[in-house]
Amino acid sequence: MTNTAQSNVQDLIPLSVSRVVEDTNTDTRIIVLTRTDDSDTFTIWVGAPEGDSIRRALDSATPPRPMSHDLVKSFGEHFGITTKRVVLTDVKSSTYYATVFLENKGVERSIDARPSDAIALALRTHAPIYATQDVWKRRSGQHLDAWLAKLDTKDIDTQEV
Amino acid sequence: MITQMQVKGLMFDPYNNAYIVVLRDEDEAEMLPIWVGKSEASAISLALEHVAPPRPMTHDFMKSFLDAYNAKVISVVISDLNEHTYFAKVHLMYEDSEYAVDSRPSDAIALAIRSEAPIFANDSVIRKQSSEELEQWLENLKPDDFGKLDS
Repeated sequence: MTNTAQSNVQDLIPLSVSRVVEDTNTDTRIIVLTRTDDSDTFTIWVGAPEGDSIRRALDSATPPRPMSHDLVKSFGEHFGITTKRVVLTDVKSSTYYATVFLENKGVERSIDARPSDAIALALRTHAPIYATQDVWKRRSGQHLDAWLAKLDTKDIDTQEV
Repeated sequence: MITQMQVKGLMFDPYNNAYIVVLRDEDEAEMLPIWVGKSEASAISLALEHVAPPRPMTHDFMKSFLDAYNAKVISVVISDLNEHTYFAKVHLMYEDSEYAVDSRPSDAIALAIRSEAPIFANDSVIRKQSSEELEQWLENLKPDDFGKLDS
Protein backbone atom coordinates (compact mmCIF):
# COMPACT_ATOMS: atom_id res chain seq x y z
CA MET A 1 0.00 0.00 0.00
CA THR A 2 1.71 3.18 -1.10
CA ASN A 3 1.32 6.49 0.69
CA THR A 4 0.30 8.29 -2.47
CA ALA A 5 -2.54 5.88 -3.11
CA GLN A 6 -3.66 6.23 0.49
CA SER A 7 -3.66 10.02 0.48
CA ASN A 8 -5.83 10.16 -2.64
CA VAL A 9 -8.36 7.80 -1.25
CA GLN A 10 -8.45 8.47 2.48
CA ASP A 11 -12.08 7.53 2.84
CA LEU A 12 -11.64 4.09 1.37
CA ILE A 13 -11.03 0.88 3.28
CA PRO A 14 -7.78 -0.80 2.24
CA LEU A 15 -8.11 -4.53 1.68
CA SER A 16 -5.87 -7.47 0.98
CA VAL A 17 -6.81 -10.87 -0.36
CA SER A 18 -6.27 -13.41 2.41
CA ARG A 19 -7.25 -16.56 0.65
CA VAL A 20 -9.38 -18.27 -1.94
CA VAL A 21 -11.66 -20.99 -0.66
CA GLU A 22 -13.12 -23.63 -2.91
CA ASP A 23 -16.86 -24.17 -2.61
CA THR A 24 -17.05 -27.55 -4.27
CA ASN A 25 -20.81 -27.83 -3.85
CA THR A 26 -21.49 -24.98 -6.24
CA ASP A 27 -18.23 -24.94 -8.21
CA THR A 28 -17.61 -21.38 -7.11
CA ARG A 29 -14.78 -19.77 -5.22
CA ILE A 30 -14.95 -17.60 -2.13
CA ILE A 31 -12.52 -14.71 -1.98
CA VAL A 32 -11.71 -13.71 1.60
CA LEU A 33 -10.69 -10.06 1.86
CA THR A 34 -9.12 -8.66 5.02
CA ARG A 35 -8.86 -5.03 6.11
CA THR A 36 -5.19 -4.18 6.11
CA ASP A 37 -5.64 -1.71 9.01
CA ASP A 38 -7.71 -4.16 11.05
CA SER A 39 -8.36 -7.87 10.93
CA ASP A 40 -12.00 -7.77 9.88
CA THR A 41 -12.82 -9.77 6.82
CA PHE A 42 -15.45 -10.04 4.19
CA THR A 43 -16.13 -12.51 1.47
CA ILE A 44 -17.12 -12.40 -2.16
CA TRP A 45 -18.36 -15.35 -4.19
CA VAL A 46 -16.87 -15.55 -7.67
CA GLY A 47 -16.89 -18.04 -10.53
CA ALA A 48 -14.40 -20.90 -10.60
CA PRO A 49 -12.21 -19.62 -13.46
CA GLU A 50 -11.96 -16.12 -11.94
CA GLY A 51 -11.33 -17.52 -8.46
CA ASP A 52 -8.62 -19.82 -9.77
CA SER A 53 -7.06 -16.87 -11.56
CA ILE A 54 -6.96 -14.95 -8.26
CA ARG A 55 -5.43 -17.94 -6.52
CA ARG A 56 -2.69 -18.24 -9.15
CA ALA A 57 -1.86 -14.57 -8.61
CA LEU A 58 -1.78 -15.04 -4.80
CA ASP A 59 0.57 -17.99 -5.22
CA SER A 60 2.67 -16.01 -7.71
CA ALA A 61 2.27 -19.01 -9.95
CA THR A 62 3.41 -18.47 -13.52
CA PRO A 63 1.34 -20.57 -15.87
CA PRO A 64 3.11 -21.94 -18.96
CA ARG A 65 0.82 -19.83 -21.12
CA PRO A 66 -0.64 -16.39 -20.43
CA MET A 67 -4.13 -16.76 -18.95
CA SER A 68 -6.82 -14.12 -19.51
CA HIS A 69 -5.76 -11.76 -16.71
CA ASP A 70 -2.09 -12.20 -17.60
CA LEU A 71 -3.04 -10.99 -21.07
CA VAL A 72 -4.67 -7.85 -19.63
CA LYS A 73 -1.52 -7.25 -17.58
CA SER A 74 0.56 -7.78 -20.72
CA PHE A 75 -1.49 -5.19 -22.64
CA GLY A 76 -0.85 -2.74 -19.82
CA GLU A 77 2.90 -3.40 -19.89
CA HIS A 78 3.08 -2.96 -23.67
CA PHE A 79 1.21 0.35 -23.63
CA GLY A 80 2.48 1.77 -20.34
CA ILE A 81 -0.96 1.63 -18.72
CA THR A 82 -0.68 1.18 -14.96
CA THR A 83 -3.40 -0.05 -12.65
CA LYS A 84 -3.57 2.59 -9.91
CA ARG A 85 -6.16 0.98 -7.70
CA VAL A 86 -9.23 -1.18 -7.62
CA VAL A 87 -12.29 -0.10 -5.64
CA LEU A 88 -15.31 -2.17 -4.67
CA THR A 89 -17.87 0.53 -5.25
CA ASP A 90 -21.29 -0.94 -4.73
CA VAL A 91 -23.29 -3.93 -3.58
CA LYS A 92 -26.82 -4.70 -4.71
CA SER A 93 -28.64 -7.91 -3.83
CA SER A 94 -25.34 -9.47 -2.71
CA THR A 95 -23.73 -8.63 -6.04
CA TYR A 96 -20.60 -6.53 -5.75
CA TYR A 97 -19.47 -3.98 -8.30
CA ALA A 98 -15.95 -2.71 -8.84
CA THR A 99 -14.12 0.06 -10.64
CA VAL A 100 -10.57 -0.22 -11.93
CA PHE A 101 -8.58 3.03 -12.02
CA LEU A 102 -5.94 3.18 -14.72
CA GLU A 103 -3.31 5.73 -15.57
CA ASN A 104 -1.21 6.40 -18.61
CA LYS A 105 1.06 9.43 -18.95
CA GLY A 106 -0.91 11.28 -16.32
CA VAL A 107 -4.29 10.51 -17.86
CA GLU A 108 -6.54 8.62 -15.47
CA ARG A 109 -9.41 6.47 -16.71
CA SER A 110 -11.78 4.23 -14.81
CA ILE A 111 -13.58 1.15 -16.05
CA ASP A 112 -16.38 -0.93 -14.59
CA ALA A 113 -15.54 -4.50 -13.74
CA ARG A 114 -16.67 -7.45 -11.76
CA PRO A 115 -14.71 -7.62 -8.49
CA SER A 116 -13.18 -10.93 -9.63
CA ASP A 117 -11.59 -9.44 -12.76
CA ALA A 118 -10.59 -6.29 -10.86
CA ILE A 119 -8.91 -8.25 -8.05
CA ALA A 120 -7.23 -10.68 -10.48
CA LEU A 121 -5.67 -7.71 -12.26
CA ALA A 122 -4.81 -5.82 -9.05
CA LEU A 123 -2.84 -8.77 -7.65
CA ARG A 124 -0.88 -9.14 -10.88
CA THR A 125 -0.05 -5.45 -11.08
CA HIS A 126 0.50 -4.94 -7.33
CA ALA A 127 -2.27 -2.34 -7.26
CA PRO A 128 -4.05 -1.60 -3.97
CA ILE A 129 -7.58 -2.89 -3.43
CA TYR A 130 -10.18 -0.83 -1.56
CA ALA A 131 -13.83 -0.89 -0.63
CA THR A 132 -15.95 2.21 -0.13
CA GLN A 133 -17.20 2.87 3.42
CA ASP A 134 -20.71 2.10 2.18
CA VAL A 135 -19.75 -1.30 0.72
CA TRP A 136 -17.81 -2.12 3.87
CA LYS A 137 -20.83 -1.38 6.08
CA ARG A 138 -23.07 -3.53 3.93
CA ARG A 139 -20.62 -6.36 3.44
CA SER A 140 -21.56 -9.98 3.90
CA GLY A 141 -19.63 -12.71 5.57
CA GLN A 142 -18.95 -11.18 8.96
CA HIS A 143 -20.10 -14.35 10.68
CA LEU A 144 -18.63 -16.91 8.36
CA ASP A 145 -15.34 -17.35 10.13
CA ALA A 146 -16.20 -20.62 11.78
CA TRP A 147 -17.57 -22.02 8.58
CA LEU A 148 -14.54 -20.91 6.62
CA ALA A 149 -12.20 -22.35 9.22
CA LYS A 150 -13.83 -25.69 8.69
CA LEU A 151 -13.38 -25.45 4.93
CA ASP A 152 -9.85 -24.19 5.29
CA THR A 153 -8.36 -27.18 6.99
CA LYS A 154 -9.81 -29.44 4.35
CA ASP A 155 -9.33 -27.50 1.16
CA ILE A 156 -6.79 -24.81 1.50
CA ASP A 157 -3.87 -26.06 3.50
CA THR A 158 -3.18 -28.73 0.94
CA GLN A 159 -2.91 -26.10 -1.75
CA GLU A 160 -0.30 -23.95 -0.14
CA VAL A 161 2.77 -23.72 -2.29
CA MET B 1 1.42 -16.38 -45.62
CA ILE B 2 -1.68 -16.15 -43.54
CA THR B 3 -5.26 -17.15 -44.29
CA GLN B 4 -8.32 -15.45 -42.88
CA MET B 5 -10.49 -17.76 -40.82
CA GLN B 6 -14.05 -17.55 -39.55
CA VAL B 7 -15.38 -19.06 -36.37
CA LYS B 8 -17.77 -21.68 -37.72
CA GLY B 9 -18.95 -22.98 -34.42
CA LEU B 10 -18.35 -24.57 -31.08
CA MET B 11 -18.65 -28.26 -30.45
CA PHE B 12 -18.54 -30.27 -27.25
CA ASP B 13 -15.90 -32.99 -27.14
CA PRO B 14 -17.19 -35.63 -24.73
CA TYR B 15 -13.89 -37.59 -24.81
CA ASN B 16 -11.88 -34.72 -23.41
CA ASN B 17 -14.71 -32.95 -21.61
CA ALA B 18 -13.71 -29.82 -23.51
CA TYR B 19 -14.98 -27.69 -26.33
CA ILE B 20 -13.70 -27.34 -29.88
CA VAL B 21 -13.69 -23.97 -31.61
CA VAL B 22 -13.93 -24.72 -35.32
CA LEU B 23 -12.21 -22.21 -37.58
CA ARG B 24 -12.62 -22.45 -41.36
CA ASP B 25 -11.28 -20.40 -44.23
CA GLU B 26 -13.63 -18.65 -46.67
CA ASP B 27 -13.52 -21.46 -49.24
CA GLU B 28 -14.14 -23.93 -46.46
CA ALA B 29 -11.13 -25.81 -47.76
CA GLU B 30 -9.21 -25.67 -44.52
CA MET B 31 -10.25 -26.29 -40.97
CA LEU B 32 -8.60 -25.67 -37.63
CA PRO B 33 -10.12 -27.31 -34.57
CA ILE B 34 -8.92 -25.66 -31.37
CA TRP B 35 -9.65 -27.31 -28.06
CA VAL B 36 -10.57 -24.89 -25.27
CA GLY B 37 -11.92 -25.10 -21.72
CA LYS B 38 -15.49 -24.51 -20.65
CA SER B 39 -15.10 -20.91 -19.52
CA GLU B 40 -13.13 -19.99 -22.66
CA ALA B 41 -15.84 -21.60 -24.82
CA SER B 42 -18.46 -19.64 -22.94
CA ALA B 43 -16.56 -16.38 -23.54
CA ILE B 44 -16.47 -17.08 -27.28
CA SER B 45 -20.06 -18.25 -27.43
CA LEU B 46 -21.41 -15.11 -25.69
CA ALA B 47 -19.61 -12.94 -28.24
CA LEU B 48 -20.72 -15.02 -31.24
CA GLU B 49 -24.32 -14.78 -30.16
CA HIS B 50 -24.02 -11.06 -29.39
CA VAL B 51 -25.26 -11.68 -25.89
CA ALA B 52 -24.70 -8.64 -23.72
CA PRO B 53 -24.25 -10.08 -20.23
CA PRO B 54 -25.63 -8.00 -17.35
CA ARG B 55 -22.09 -7.52 -16.09
CA PRO B 56 -18.87 -7.21 -18.05
CA MET B 57 -17.30 -10.65 -18.36
CA THR B 58 -13.52 -11.09 -18.42
CA HIS B 59 -13.13 -10.41 -22.16
CA ASP B 60 -15.54 -7.47 -22.00
CA PHE B 61 -13.34 -6.14 -19.23
CA MET B 62 -10.29 -6.77 -21.43
CA LYS B 63 -11.91 -4.76 -24.22
CA SER B 64 -12.86 -1.93 -21.82
CA PHE B 65 -9.23 -1.84 -20.70
CA LEU B 66 -8.10 -1.34 -24.33
CA ASP B 67 -10.96 1.05 -25.16
CA ALA B 68 -10.07 3.28 -22.19
CA TYR B 69 -6.92 4.38 -24.03
CA ASN B 70 -8.07 3.83 -27.61
CA ALA B 71 -5.93 0.78 -28.20
CA LYS B 72 -7.40 -1.07 -31.19
CA VAL B 73 -7.25 -4.76 -31.94
CA ILE B 74 -6.24 -4.91 -35.62
CA SER B 75 -6.17 -8.65 -36.02
CA VAL B 76 -5.53 -11.92 -34.29
CA VAL B 77 -3.23 -14.57 -35.73
CA ILE B 78 -3.10 -18.23 -34.78
CA SER B 79 0.65 -18.25 -35.13
CA ASP B 80 1.96 -21.65 -34.17
CA LEU B 81 1.07 -25.20 -33.31
CA ASN B 82 3.42 -27.19 -31.15
CA GLU B 83 2.59 -30.58 -29.65
CA HIS B 84 -1.16 -30.04 -30.01
CA THR B 85 -0.97 -26.60 -28.40
CA TYR B 86 -1.87 -23.58 -30.46
CA PHE B 87 -0.26 -20.20 -29.94
CA ALA B 88 -1.71 -16.87 -30.97
CA LYS B 89 -0.77 -13.23 -31.23
CA VAL B 90 -3.03 -10.24 -30.78
CA HIS B 91 -2.00 -7.39 -33.06
CA LEU B 92 -2.91 -3.97 -31.72
CA MET B 93 -2.55 -0.37 -32.77
CA TYR B 94 -1.84 2.12 -30.01
CA GLU B 95 -0.73 5.71 -30.54
CA ASP B 96 0.48 5.03 -34.12
CA SER B 97 2.55 2.04 -33.10
CA GLU B 98 1.78 -1.59 -33.75
CA TYR B 99 2.16 -4.22 -31.06
CA ALA B 100 1.99 -8.01 -31.12
CA VAL B 101 1.10 -9.61 -27.79
CA ASP B 102 1.32 -13.35 -27.06
CA SER B 103 -1.97 -14.92 -26.12
CA ARG B 104 -3.81 -18.18 -25.94
CA PRO B 105 -6.00 -18.65 -29.04
CA SER B 106 -9.13 -18.72 -26.87
CA ASP B 107 -8.46 -15.24 -25.42
CA ALA B 108 -7.42 -13.95 -28.83
CA ILE B 109 -10.59 -15.23 -30.52
CA ALA B 110 -12.89 -14.04 -27.71
CA LEU B 111 -11.31 -10.58 -28.00
CA ALA B 112 -11.31 -10.54 -31.83
CA ILE B 113 -15.04 -11.23 -32.04
CA ARG B 114 -15.79 -8.48 -29.51
CA SER B 115 -13.53 -6.07 -31.39
CA GLU B 116 -14.82 -7.10 -34.84
CA ALA B 117 -11.23 -7.83 -35.80
CA PRO B 118 -10.32 -10.48 -38.39
CA ILE B 119 -8.86 -13.81 -37.32
CA PHE B 120 -6.00 -15.28 -39.35
CA ALA B 121 -4.02 -18.50 -39.22
CA ASN B 122 -0.45 -18.96 -40.35
CA ASP B 123 -0.36 -21.35 -43.29
CA SER B 124 2.25 -23.39 -41.46
CA VAL B 125 -0.31 -24.00 -38.71
CA ILE B 126 -2.91 -25.09 -41.22
CA ARG B 127 -0.42 -27.44 -42.85
CA LYS B 128 0.49 -28.97 -39.53
CA GLN B 129 -3.09 -29.50 -38.56
CA SER B 130 -4.57 -31.35 -41.49
CA SER B 131 -8.29 -31.49 -41.09
CA GLU B 132 -8.06 -35.23 -41.45
CA GLU B 133 -7.51 -35.57 -37.77
CA LEU B 134 -10.82 -34.01 -36.88
CA GLU B 135 -12.71 -35.82 -39.60
CA GLN B 136 -11.25 -39.08 -38.40
CA TRP B 137 -12.28 -38.20 -34.90
CA LEU B 138 -15.80 -37.30 -36.01
CA GLU B 139 -16.16 -40.50 -38.00
CA ASN B 140 -15.22 -42.50 -34.97
CA LEU B 141 -17.93 -40.90 -32.87
CA LYS B 142 -20.97 -43.08 -32.35
CA PRO B 143 -24.34 -42.01 -31.00
CA ASP B 144 -23.56 -44.11 -27.95
CA ASP B 145 -20.61 -41.87 -27.15
CA PHE B 146 -22.92 -38.94 -26.60
CA GLY B 147 -25.27 -41.06 -24.50
CA LYS B 148 -22.47 -41.72 -22.05
CA LEU B 149 -22.68 -38.14 -20.93
CA ASP B 150 -26.02 -38.70 -19.27
CA SER B 151 -25.11 -41.85 -17.42
